[in-house]
Amino acid sequence: MPEGKPAIRIIYMMILFVFLLFLAVPIGILLIRSLETADGFNYANYVSVLSDKELVESFLNSIKVSSLTAGITTILAFALAYAMNYTRMYRPIKAVVHVGIVLPMLLPTITYGFAIIYSLGNQGLLTKITGRHFFDIYGFNGLLIGYVIYTLPATFLLINNSFKYIDKKFIVVSKLMGDRGFRTFKNTIVLPLLGSLGGAFLLSFILSFTDFGIPASIGGTYPVVATQLYQVMLGSIPDFNNGAVIAVLMLVPAGFGILLLHYLERFNFHYDKFTDFELLPHKGRDIAFGVFSTVVLVSMLSIFAVMFIAPFVTSYPYDLRFSLAHLTDTFLSKDLLAVYKNSLFVACLTAVFGTLLAFGSAVVNVRTAVKGKSSIDVIAMITNTVPGMVLGLSYLLFFNGSELKGTFLILVLCNIVHYFATPYLMAKNALSKMDPTWETTGELLGDSWLKTVFRVVLPNASSTVIEMFSFYFINSMVTISGIIFLVTAQTSLVSSKIKELQHFAQFNEVFILSLLIFFTNLFVKFVCDHFQRVKSKSYIRGKLQ
Amino acid sequence: MLQLQNISKQYEGKVVLDEVNLDIKKGEIVSLLGPSGSGKSTLLHIILGLTKMTHGKVLFDDQDLSHVSMKDRGFNIVFQDYALFPNLNAYENIVYGLRNKKNLTSKEELQEYIEFLELTPHLTKRISELSGGQKQRVSIARTLVMKPKILLLDEPLSALDGVIKESIKQRIHAIAKEFNLTTIIVTHDPEEALTLSDKILIINEGSIVQYGTPYEIMNFPQNDFVRSFILKQLQIKRQNIHHLFGEQYA
Repeated sequence: MPEGKPAIRIIYMMILFVFLLFLAVPIGILLIRSLETADGFNYANYVSVLSDKELVESFLNSIKVSSLTAGITTILAFALAYAMNYTRMYRPIKAVVHVGIVLPMLLPTITYGFAIIYSLGNQGLLTKITGRHFFDIYGFNGLLIGYVIYTLPATFLLINNSFKYIDKKFIVVSKLMGDRGFRTFKNTIVLPLLGSLGGAFLLSFILSFTDFGIPASIGGTYPVVATQLYQVMLGSIPDFNNGAVIAVLMLVPAGFGILLLHYLERFNFHYDKFTDFELLPHKGRDIAFGVFSTVVLVSMLSIFAVMFIAPFVTSYPYDLRFSLAHLTDTFLSKDLLAVYKNSLFVACLTAVFGTLLAFGSAVVNVRTAVKGKSSIDVIAMITNTVPGMVLGLSYLLFFNGSELKGTFLILVLCNIVHYFATPYLMAKNALSKMDPTWETTGELLGDSWLKTVFRVVLPNASSTVIEMFSFYFINSMVTISGIIFLVTAQTSLVSSKIKELQHFAQFNEVFILSLLIFFTNLFVKFVCDHFQRVKSKSYIRGKLQ
Repeated sequence: MLQLQNISKQYEGKVVLDEVNLDIKKGEIVSLLGPSGSGKSTLLHIILGLTKMTHGKVLFDDQDLSHVSMKDRGFNIVFQDYALFPNLNAYENIVYGLRNKKNLTSKEELQEYIEFLELTPHLTKRISELSGGQKQRVSIARTLVMKPKILLLDEPLSALDGVIKESIKQRIHAIAKEFNLTTIIVTHDPEEALTLSDKILIINEGSIVQYGTPYEIMNFPQNDFVRSFILKQLQIKRQNIHHLFGEQYA
């Protein structure tokens, strides 16, 4: 492996510099500000925050609703993944679940809240259709529904992926050894998945605990940490020091959760081989899981149905005649179009430069022997730990007086750092599977190191690079927690604009903007998936010939 | 002529190679033979310039290359799993290095290599469409195009199945003789080493056990290691084969 090449060292230094300036220092400043008081540095801010009854209550509320969310979501996700992998339920249902379950990921979480209000509220679509009012949606119930919808896709993907690494041969062995149904289920499915199930629970908990969009839209008078932090920072009397304290306190459970996630990984079984075999049909099981999966998916997606209806009638829910007035108004409004353009601009820049940074980091880590390269793994873990709101707040504190304040650049940088971990791991995974002698071979054929990276390594990773791009783009389009403290009137993005429109009760615009994000993301995802398929197809075709 | 003088390598406190001395003449085929972990691959990488030695000297035609980088030494290697670039087809792999050194090999020479290695029908194929033996030949062609002063082969036969092995062996032999190219091969298979090379370097636990022609090794084994590791294996093989063909061939 190449080690001492100047090009490698320069790239490595640049990566470290980016994370020093846009991760380490801002978070350091955040810690300092949380300790800063009129009489020097002490714990007074912490004491003041922790003796504030409402703040403490909001913490307990956050923990309560996030734990319950995590429990429900993990069970639902496990059952869905089981249905996908271990039943012979009707094939089209599997296909629809596979695509449908991830659709909410294409929307900002703040939209979820409004969709719930318009579906299950007093005048909501589902309330009207079923003719009954289910429960009060503002506060605890609304948050719970929102968080479950929000975290179900991610937990499902995680558990579903782990299912693929279970060796089904052991089920046969277990049965041949005379195990009864429950014992087989426990020993060959639950135990091998224990690490993933714990991971799914924590993931769901952390996502709920740190999300801002859902409580901002449907939290009502039920205080949670994210909304409290927002109020302290951007309320009538901003208190930067107390804000820093809340951010630090928000960081602690998230950090603890990530550490636990790493710990849980060792509970995952590592089978040498994964044998797959045909499952025997079992009518009762297959029908039951088919019905269950359909119900879960339909319930989840029905919440969003209103989004496609409300903006296209004259005045929902009073005048239900079809009308394109809201749509044309939105497109005629320079203001809203400008915001959409801003979002596109930021998402494109984030995707391009984020992919570049994550790919470069992975190349340095996997395919060179430069000293201290494992520090990038630590950085990735830290970016994964820091919630978007905390990162955004730390930027606000650190870059407040600088040129960066109020620019698109700071939004792009915040998104790049915030979402770094996943694309980085994607690239690492792909690069580590490549032949380790390529660079040496390239060098012997006269290439410089960088030239081999561009001529050989990059083309062979193109499918992964597209996936990384798509991940960065979509997340940049939907994030609100990361950028809420950093946007200004000039750099407003769709997700933050929705927050603003809420104030004026302009829900038709909220939904139209959400639809714009949704279809943009759908388009990008479709295009990226298509190119990825083309790449892997040509590879497979080559293999078969 | 390639000369290795007092080459030693320590890695993390362990002695990998201990005082290796060796002369290889131009156009010779030399095998480095030893069990896994003996240090033979490390020695190959030191010659190539991929691995640094702790002390010692590498001389080529009386020129000290010890501190010359891998790229500037002018040697080249074919890796065990060929390291072909899957985003390029067979031909693009072969001419890969010519993008960097335009006039190193003329069109006629390139054609000669391709024909010599019988690759003409496979040039437009993807790497994944090639068989093991074809990949091996493409990899050799890609290396020959760079006009290496020494050709290094890392376990060139281990990834190939039985039938193809013998033909690749002949091919390697033919290349070395046709182009008068010094060739160094790493292998752990005594039969391979003794039937393919002019000279064999038997290496165990980082030290040279014996260096000689196949005849010398078969008839004058230097010690027990050579007898038990090398000769024993071949004797068992001989027995098995005699058994298969019947006693009249014994």
